[in-house]
Amino acid sequence: MKEVFSMWKNTRMIILVALSAAIYAAFLIVFKGGIPIVPGITEVRPANVFPPIFGLLFGPAGAWGAAIGNTIGDLFGGTLGAGSIFGFFGNFFLGFVPYKMWGALFNLVTKDDMAPTTNSVKKVIAFEIVALTASAACAVIIAWYLDLTGIVPYAFLAITITVNNFAAAFLLGPILLTLLYPRIKRWGLLWTDIMDKEDVARGFSPNIGSILMIVGSLGGLIVGIMLAAGVAGQEIYGFAGVSGSVAVWAGVLPFLILIIIAGFMLSGQEQFIEDED
Amino acid sequence: MDAELYLDLNTVIHRLDARTKITLFIYTFIGLILFENPLWLLPLCSLILLHGIVSRSLKNLRRIRYILIVLTISSLIMWNIFASGDTPLFWFLDAESAIFSVGRTMLMLFMITGGMILISTTRNEELVLGMIKMGLPYRVGFAISTSLRLVPTIASSLITVTQAQRSRGLDLESGNILARIKKFIPLLIPVFISTIRSTNIFGMALESKGFGARDDRTFYLQMKMGALDYVLLIFGLIFTLTMIFLNLQGYGDIPGLIRF
Repeated sequence: MKEVFSMWKNTRMIILVALSAAIYAAFLIVFKGGIPIVPGITEVRPANVFPPIFGLLFGPAGAWGAAIGNTIGDLFGGTLGAGSIFGFFGNFFLGFVPYKMWGALFNLVTKDDMAPTTNSVKKVIAFEIVALTASAACAVIIAWYLDLTGIVPYAFLAITITVNNFAAAFLLGPILLTLLYPRIKRWGLLWTDIMDKEDVARGFSPNIGSILMIVGSLGGLIVGIMLAAGVAGQEIYGFAGVSGSVAVWAGVLPFLILIIIAGFMLSGQEQFIEDED
Repeated sequence: MDAELYLDLNTVIHRLDARTKITLFIYTFIGLILFENPLWLLPLCSLILLHGIVSRSLKNLRRIRYILIVLTISSLIMWNIFASGDTPLFWFLDAESAIFSVGRTMLMLFMITGGMILISTTRNEELVLGMIKMGLPYRVGFAISTSLRLVPTIASSLITVTQAQRSRGLDLESGNILARIKKFIPLLIPVFISTIRSTNIFGMALESKGFGARDDRTFYLQMKMGALDYVLLIFGLIFTLTMIFLNLQGYGDIPGLIRF
């Protein structure tokens, strides 16, 4: 995760944080209040396509932009509340996971073409995998916290956030990435063109880290829902049973830890090969 | 759309140090999530209202009235579905769940009001400088303040692009959710491109002015805590600690309420 902090010494990366946050917040605000899912917590959000795109194009700047943009969206949109705290971390991971996993996807993205675009079927599949993993990671983080505090049940919110995030990324992501990548590359604004390779975490086992990230995110989602439905008596995608159950809290916690450990294992340095060529 | 929410007034609240206003907002945030029963929320809500009246910032709530109405109606209905109780009223409504839904709606509305008072009485640069003085690195503060400044501009251009695309036949209201999401592409691309293309010029402008040259920096804007700042901070702290104590003693619950 070294680059998450080292990027702050680079002026262009700081500007990309600000611009990403402003774009994300503006879309969230303008389309807020349309179709609320849980009042004050979440609504239908087509803007959720942005964090994975920001992450792939702008790296850690995109992740910070997603986190700050979501909080500004809550502030200006009038939904700043208990969910905003972990909304910050959840949205950070929504932008963080895609760029960390992109180069460690079991040869779906090969060393001779690491460009974050969807110019082949393999890369479209790679994009959908990272988008789904990031969506689930974001959902697990936010739903775990809101269930723990007894605000919204895990079995409802985890599914809602995952579907909400992934629907936008699944439908719009590949098209947006194909259209945006050439321009961003031409302007020299790809994170791998701005940052030095030495400022990016080496990661101690990217491929295993990638597997652990998928296990942590999707495993946390599935196991959490099963525990919520089985032990806490919650209804899957419904409102019944007990929230704040110790079983859900303790059962999902190892997966959250796994997500963080995987974040340290993944690198991002492998994407700098394109520049060396 | 003019999303600049700061009101250029000279009230006693406007003159408070940004650090005081941020801390009072945090106290508000903590206080509101402590109690389920709306009666126990009333003292804090009264203080928030008083805060809003003295700062003459409640008029800004009119600007988000549509969002507030939607959130209030959906909150009053949905929190009744999320909870039940022992005392039936009619249909799916129980007395306990009705009280609970009022409490949750108050929490949401007064959290919004607290946030609105903060940004209506504090300039962006004061808000960010306040956070920097409270320990936030200034580069992070710069990114936040730039985003806050740009949101109104981008929101305006998004609305302009939306209207332009609608005039060309884009219908965002028809179709199922998936079809609607797909229709956002003609809106996403122009706004994204027009915003991001300024990055390099922006960067050069900043670096030519020495941005990032030194780890420490001075600020043109100076902040100073006054006597009233300390009085309000101490009062806020005592009030919040009292509420936490009462919450720990078991006050503020709704007897018979079954959540979820």
